[in-house]
Amino acid sequence: MEFAKKIVDSTEEIFNTMIFMDISTDGCMSEGQEILFSNVSAMIGLSGNFTAMLSLHCSGYIAMEIAGAMLGMELEEIDADVKDALGEIANMIAGGIKERFASEDIKLELAIPTTVSGKSYSISSPTRSNRVIIPFDLVQGQFFVEMKYSLN
Amino acid sequence: MEYAQPIIDATQEIFSSMIMLDVVPGEPFERGSEPLKNSISGIIGLAGKSKGLLGIHLPNSMALSITTAFLGMEVEEIDEDVRDAIGELANMLAGSIKTALDPKGSEIQLSMPSAIHGEEYSIDCLANAINIAVPFALDGETFLVELQLREES
Repeated sequence: MEFAKKIVDSTEEIFNTMIFMDISTDGCMSEGQEILFSNVSAMIGLSGNFTAMLSLHCSGYIAMEIAGAMLGMELEEIDADVKDALGEIANMIAGGIKERFASEDIKLELAIPTTVSGKSYSISSPTRSNRVIIPFDLVQGQFFVEMKYSLN
Repeated sequence: MEYAQPIIDATQEIFSSMIMLDVVPGEPFERGSEPLKNSISGIIGLAGKSKGLLGIHLPNSMALSITTAFLGMEVEEIDEDVRDAIGELANMLAGSIKTALDPKGSEIQLSMPSAIHGEEYSIDCLANAINIAVPFALDGETFLVELQLREES
């Protein structure tokens, strides 16, 4: 079902056309690599022919840089604008993934995005689920797009 | 507050039938974005014509006692079993609330649950969604069940 390609294509499209930031990736995170410490995670559920949760994880600094580029303003704290912007980006990436699956006759619907933030937290999905994590590089640093899914 | 009753009904039903615990609902309110401390949250997306998010937020100590009652085995720290149990609890609550909100079963589909745990974290409510949280008391402590919903425009 080529999850990784859909995630990369959709994320690149959103960053190129909506946020105007250059991003690059070497593809899936390899075994043993870990997500860098994150302060902000924007998440959105998907459901249909399979169930999933799409998340974008990054540091507070990267969250402010991405939200600032999208909104065209300087942001100095992780406020409601930053959280809303990151949630909206997760929503748009998930929308792009939904369209790409739809072209293969795999139907998905989106839930609403939510943004988790804080000094220390961890997010886990059911132990029986699968996951794909793609690290993306920006000039300013890294962010991660993760998709956890269950095919039953 | 038309959504308070489905939350109360679902929570009481799941707790009494699956965990064998009676929980007492408090006054429903709109939750802001104040941080949750030393807690674990189970969240799950509602997708489809009505979109939303169902969350249950528990202090660590309650998460441990509820998981112990739910799994019938002693748990002493927030480990994989507890995270899975709290995610599954969100899944069951959402399933029950979905039945009340969408009796025909055609408008809402559940996504995959996640568990969020930490010393201090915020789970933000969306500005353009209805938000309603109901506190429930159990053994002198309180947990929250929260529903965010956005009607398709």
